[in-house]
Amino acid sequence: MDSILRSQAKSQGRQEVCIKIENLKLFYGEKQALHGINMEMPKKKVTAYIGPSGCGKSTLLRCINRMNDLVDNVRIEGKILLENEDIYNRSVNVAALRRRVGMVFQKPNPFPKSIFENVAYGLRIQGINDKRTLEETVENALRGAAIWDEVKDRLNDNALGLSGGQQQRLVIARAIAIEPEVLLLDEPASALDPISTLKIEELINELKEKYTIVIVTHNMQQAARVSDYTAFMYMGELIEMGHTSELFTNPKKKQTEDYITGRYG
Amino acid sequence: MSETNLNFQSAGTQIHAGGYYFQWRLLKDHLARYGVIVGGLGVIVAIALIFFFLLYSVFPLFMPATAESVAHYEVPGKMPGSTVLLAMEEQNEVAARFTDSGQVVFFEAATGKTVSTETVPIPAGTTVTSFGQGDPAEGVVVYGLSNGRALIVKQQYKQTYPNGERVITPSLAFPLGETPLVVDDTGAAVEKIAVQANDEATIVAKAGNKIRLVSFEKQESLFDEEAGLERTDAVLDMPVYNLTDMIIDEDQRNLYLVSSDGRLSFFDISNKSHPVIRQHQNVVAVGEKITSLAFLNGDLSLLIGDSSGLVSQWSQVRDELNRPALQKIRSFKVSNSPVIGIHAEQRRKGFMTLDADSVVGIYHSTAERELVKETIGEPGAVAATLAPKANAFLVQSGDGSVHFWHVDNEHPEVSMQVFWQEVWYESYQKPNYIWQSSSASNDFEPKYSLVPLVFGTLKAAFYSMLFAVPLALMGAIYTAYFMAPAMRRYVKPSIEMMGALPTVILGFLAGLWLAPFIETHLAGLFALFMLVPLAVMLFAAFWHNLPETIRQQVPEGWDAALLIPVILLSGWLAFAVSEPLEALLFNGSLREWLKAELGIGYDQRNALVVGVAMGFAVIPTIFSIAEDAIFSVPKHLTVGSLALGATPWQTMIRVVLLTASPGIFSAIMIGLGRAVGETMIVLMATGNTPVMDLSVFQGMRTLSANIAVEMPEAEVNSTHYRVLFLAALVLFLFTFIVNTLAEIIRQRLREKYSSL
Repeated sequence: MDSILRSQAKSQGRQEVCIKIENLKLFYGEKQALHGINMEMPKKKVTAYIGPSGCGKSTLLRCINRMNDLVDNVRIEGKILLENEDIYNRSVNVAALRRRVGMVFQKPNPFPKSIFENVAYGLRIQGINDKRTLEETVENALRGAAIWDEVKDRLNDNALGLSGGQQQRLVIARAIAIEPEVLLLDEPASALDPISTLKIEELINELKEKYTIVIVTHNMQQAARVSDYTAFMYMGELIEMGHTSELFTNPKKKQTEDYITGRYG
Repeated sequence: MSETNLNFQSAGTQIHAGGYYFQWRLLKDHLARYGVIVGGLGVIVAIALIFFFLLYSVFPLFMPATAESVAHYEVPGKMPGSTVLLAMEEQNEVAARFTDSGQVVFFEAATGKTVSTETVPIPAGTTVTSFGQGDPAEGVVVYGLSNGRALIVKQQYKQTYPNGERVITPSLAFPLGETPLVVDDTGAAVEKIAVQANDEATIVAKAGNKIRLVSFEKQESLFDEEAGLERTDAVLDMPVYNLTDMIIDEDQRNLYLVSSDGRLSFFDISNKSHPVIRQHQNVVAVGEKITSLAFLNGDLSLLIGDSSGLVSQWSQVRDELNRPALQKIRSFKVSNSPVIGIHAEQRRKGFMTLDADSVVGIYHSTAERELVKETIGEPGAVAATLAPKANAFLVQSGDGSVHFWHVDNEHPEVSMQVFWQEVWYESYQKPNYIWQSSSASNDFEPKYSLVPLVFGTLKAAFYSMLFAVPLALMGAIYTAYFMAPAMRRYVKPSIEMMGALPTVILGFLAGLWLAPFIETHLAGLFALFMLVPLAVMLFAAFWHNLPETIRQQVPEGWDAALLIPVILLSGWLAFAVSEPLEALLFNGSLREWLKAELGIGYDQRNALVVGVAMGFAVIPTIFSIAEDAIFSVPKHLTVGSLALGATPWQTMIRVVLLTASPGIFSAIMIGLGRAVGETMIVLMATGNTPVMDLSVFQGMRTLSANIAVEMPEAEVNSTHYRVLFLAALVLFLFTFIVNTLAEIIRQRLREKYSSL
């Protein structure tokens, strides 16, 4: 598959690879959840992972910023290269890695702090406390997440007073405030209403100008709408990956076709 | 409630859909609902009842005193001579009227009916020229005669129960014989006289141009049944021309003389043959005269009434050179006309005043309260007396009638000022906060300041919180956030088990084992505070630098278990070096070094011991609640923080603790509530000394321990008893307010973080 991708990348000319996953295996105790995944994700493009529940797409996503480290009894084999650096190398500082690879979760998770402090959090933990810098960054991040106009008059209000859609965009603003290279979105719109979902999708379109985005979604229409590449996973294996338009219109594998035509999943 | 209603209604509508099951469900719903309501209301009612019971017990303290007229009648015993003294016996049944002609009329106080009349054996040809009263409780009076002699007379009231009814028979006795004693050997008339007689007798008399001090001591003889009298004579070195009044204290050691120019002279007469002047002091405003003089019960303070209606209390206080000297400690403006009589209560520190307008006032010195003020009959009162139990008084008013009043004055000795402000007690050098509620002696001045108790309560709570909060919170943070779940399953119940330990055991251990242990290993304790953290950190650094292979032997989250031997070992080491350390650095004893070098006294049972013991009792409470709060911080928040590149430590400080803050706050507050109300530990480990000293090496007495200690001794319904109830009420209110405040703050915080 990566050969396909590589050839496609070659055909498009200057396609740079941002994340390269090599033979990644993941075990929860004795149970293997990922079976030798290989894939490449191009820079400043949106890659969507689709697949039925329990297929391992979220697990794979969480490997990219090592969030799986927090789960007990997890063992990982293989490599993930971020800009040609193995993130599972012992010398890697996990906190520093996560600053480069931001993540947004399914359920909006703002901290019980003000809107401003939520966005400034990533900077403050890096020891940046300069008021001007913070104000500038927060404003840019909120603008970047298309929520500035809605919250600019109440930056000091508690973030928990925002609606679900606003909270999710706030969380995205919080993630982009520290200017990561990669943004991982784990079903970012699944808990939201259609209008909020639309806004998030528009936002993703804007964000890919600056970030490499990996999104996990259940919603195939959403994958079709927002992503450039789509990877279909099933039972812990990567079945097929390719240009979104191609994968949806002309899947190469039977399983992919079955899934996108709604025969299971 | 609204939710319950909703359920109930929906259940109701479903009934019509039919079915036994729905009826059964409705019944259960009802039962549950009323069960909950009854239980909840029951708790509230029980607390309200406790509160009202406390209030009910305390309330009489603040009831005003009342006096009511019972009877008034013509002066009993129409005889020549005017009244010099009225007196009443213990039961307020029989009163006595002493006249200047030597007659004593005993009469019924309630009716004025004469019971008997006695005549003092005054030799023919002499007249009574002066009269003096000793301690009213002794019933001794003295007549100064025109021939330079004096006769001491004692009233006696004998109680018999002939037909099962009490009959009081009054009589006169002559403790030093019926023959008048020679006071002035020149035979000059005795112009002023004062007496005090119990086992020995002392008379001070102004006769001629001298003030004579005569004392008689009974000489017990082995061979003679009759005790002889040994007489000592002295003359006071003092001008006599303006002497107006004299008074001797009941111990016959101090003599006070006042003169018409408002001066008071204080003589030390402990050596009867050699009286020494101690003080010569102006005691009233310029131009005013001293019009009355009396001791407050206990004879430690002198009450001086003057012509402007002011009564001032002068108490014997040691001066800088440790000599006794009179010091004015407070005054009462009782009237605008001269105070002609001051009558002290015989059991309490109260007194009654009588002014020239026949206005009677009853006051309490310690509480500085005016309790009763009544005008009795016509102006120009002649004499008055306060009953021994201070529950009645007699006044002979200007029109020659005698008024008998009842007084209801149960709790004069307390006021808000007594409880909460500095009070200048007798014999103290300055006003102070003191709790000293009872003593064996009757003339003791009770000191009911609640301030030292509240201070002790807060001090004990403070030191135990100082010990418990850091340990409990750090333990909670580590257990909830860092520890392996498998280890947590053992650690949490173990610590919670500590909370089940009866506090009496903790108190017992603290008082009998920990207190002496700390006393002898004080340096070890301080070494412990330094060594253990140091050892833990050193071990952590050591462990961090060990090769990976060894470190991986210990499962993640179990590393804390490795610290157990480290802590035990360093703890043992701290106490092992204690003695050599004290020998090396502090000349053998840190306690004595502290005392000598820094002036810090050391009590064996002190705040340090209490802090550790009570901290031990409080830790499980704080730990358990705080641990729950931290553990229940939603995972998605910690994960969100970690995903932003925060380290676990940053996440813990900035997100976890913040989110858990309502729970942590309530944990600390509940711990504080427990520390404040805890009784057994402080009872057994504090020494129960109500001192106000912040020093960690000094003891204290808390409100709760005070109630436990004194309640069994307090006479039911006495002031002391009710003050203890007041202490309980204060404790109750204190914990109530702390808990309410805590709950309000917790609700606010929780609201803030509610949508998590």
